[in-house]
Amino acid sequence: MPTPAELDVVLLSVRVAALAVMVSLVPGILTGWVLARWNHPVRTLLQGLVMLPLVLPPVVTGYLLLFLFGRSRPLGQAWHALTGGHLAYTTAACVIAAAVVGFPLLVEAIRLSMLGVDRRLEQVSRSLGRGRLDTFVRVTLPLALPGLSAGAVLAFARALGEFGATIVLAGNIAGETRTVPVAVYTLLNMRGGEDAVVRLVTVSVALSLAALLLSFRLSARRRP
Amino acid sequence: MLEIRVRHRFRDFALDVRLSSPGPVLGVFGASGSGKTTLLHALAGLVRPQEAEIVARGRVLCGPGRAWVPPEKRRLALVTQDALLFPHRSVRANLAYAPGAADRLAGEDGRRILEVLRIDPLLDRGPENLSGGERQRVALARALLADPLLLLLDEPTSALDAELSRDVLGLLRHVKRELAVPMVFVTHRAPELLAIADDCVVLDAGRLVAQGPPVQVLQRPSALGVASLVGVDNLLRLPVVGQDEAGGVTLLGLGPGLSLAAPFCRVPAGTGLDVGFYADEVLLCLETPVGLSARNALAGEVRALDPVGHEVLATVRVGETILRARLTPAATRELELREGAGVVVIVKTTSVHLLS
Repeated sequence: MPTPAELDVVLLSVRVAALAVMVSLVPGILTGWVLARWNHPVRTLLQGLVMLPLVLPPVVTGYLLLFLFGRSRPLGQAWHALTGGHLAYTTAACVIAAAVVGFPLLVEAIRLSMLGVDRRLEQVSRSLGRGRLDTFVRVTLPLALPGLSAGAVLAFARALGEFGATIVLAGNIAGETRTVPVAVYTLLNMRGGEDAVVRLVTVSVALSLAALLLSFRLSARRRP
Repeated sequence: MLEIRVRHRFRDFALDVRLSSPGPVLGVFGASGSGKTTLLHALAGLVRPQEAEIVARGRVLCGPGRAWVPPEKRRLALVTQDALLFPHRSVRANLAYAPGAADRLAGEDGRRILEVLRIDPLLDRGPENLSGGERQRVALARALLADPLLLLLDEPTSALDAELSRDVLGLLRHVKRELAVPMVFVTHRAPELLAIADDCVVLDAGRLVAQGPPVQVLQRPSALGVASLVGVDNLLRLPVVGQDEAGGVTLLGLGPGLSLAAPFCRVPAGTGLDVGFYADEVLLCLETPVGLSARNALAGEVRALDPVGHEVLATVRVGETILRARLTPAATRELELREGAGVVVIVKTTSVHLLS
């Protein structure tokens, strides 16, 4: 059984991953919609940018985020003006790092499920007097829901495992930014940490597998 | 009722139509690829033509210049070949979809629409549990509950079999009479326009080639092009003389001892029924064939053979009725057809369209 300290690490990870998915949800849905329904040459570029964190080394993503959110950077200063604190090396930084690396998985799942929605249903909706946004909320979104929830769970699983960008942007502060992967990395470098590593790895594998299975199940669910 | 001037160039197709119709039901006839669905989509605002002026019932929907009303503000409800019910909503929720439809559904207007389209027993079902005809009825009711200025019908019967098509067509006529909703009805089946349209236009390759009352345009096409496009040379009103429900046929009297087998429909004997079929679907033989699946093999006499382009339109007298068949000159030669020759006219029951 994990010790209370290890349990805190796991809970922090779950909290960070859940928050990361929550903040990604609205931008992810909008981006997925634009990518699925917008026919413009710029779309390919946008899609490339969105997918970038999937192929970049996470450490590079972390560096880019630090570059954007550092104390003297515009976004970092905006954050300071907004919250009075600094972003780097906080739990919020963990959430941002996890959100950014999970974002491509979320958007791709949403994009594909929206492509699967019959456009003629949207046309009929508009001819019945519902505007573009109304049609999106009443027709497109509900019909894309299975893919959307599968994507959200997948992004959650990816966020749970996030290490590279997190260590750069958020560091390794116990109780604040030490998530499961960061804790495992720390314990591996400590004499006598092997037992704790085994416990955390077991929990990590179990959580990730459960999330994946749930994601498969959700994406297999079909609308009549 | 409707003024349309639309010009739009696609990569391999140009639509260029100018028409003005008094309505209340405008039929748009054309083969597939003639541009009729594009015209309907331009009307609905689903495509934005490069040049267009559209005025429907006094409301300017499009042009001149850059004026353009988005589809949701046009109040033109679209009903398509596949009913396109929202699969995640029950029948009731589909009906209540348009803004204000929920209130209308609960009120007097809603009650009449449900009654005319016989929706009541379907209300609490899901769209996946409806038959094709039921879906189309719900789609029509959903469109009517949007309180449209015009109902846009894009081949609403072409996914249905003969009996259901007739049923939906009958309901549309009922809607026209009882609810007085003007319509634009697009189809590639000419007989349907005779059944419902007051005014009709024929499109060919993106251009308007004829306009007028359906009987005039479709039954007595003034131009050869329209005649061959329409191709309904056999339009008959015949009395019902017999029924065979198990066999799927209704027998219509053609004269003493002669009857035409049409698709089964439940009407009392003696009722006059309007039917139509294409001359293309009529065969001529010199003798009655054996082992024939077609239900109609009718002895007749050739009255005229008119060359029309590379085809021959044969006029044959069967009993007291005149039927027309379209043949090749080669067939005419091989059968040695001439005026006064005796022939057997073959017509499949499923080729006979019920119009009333």
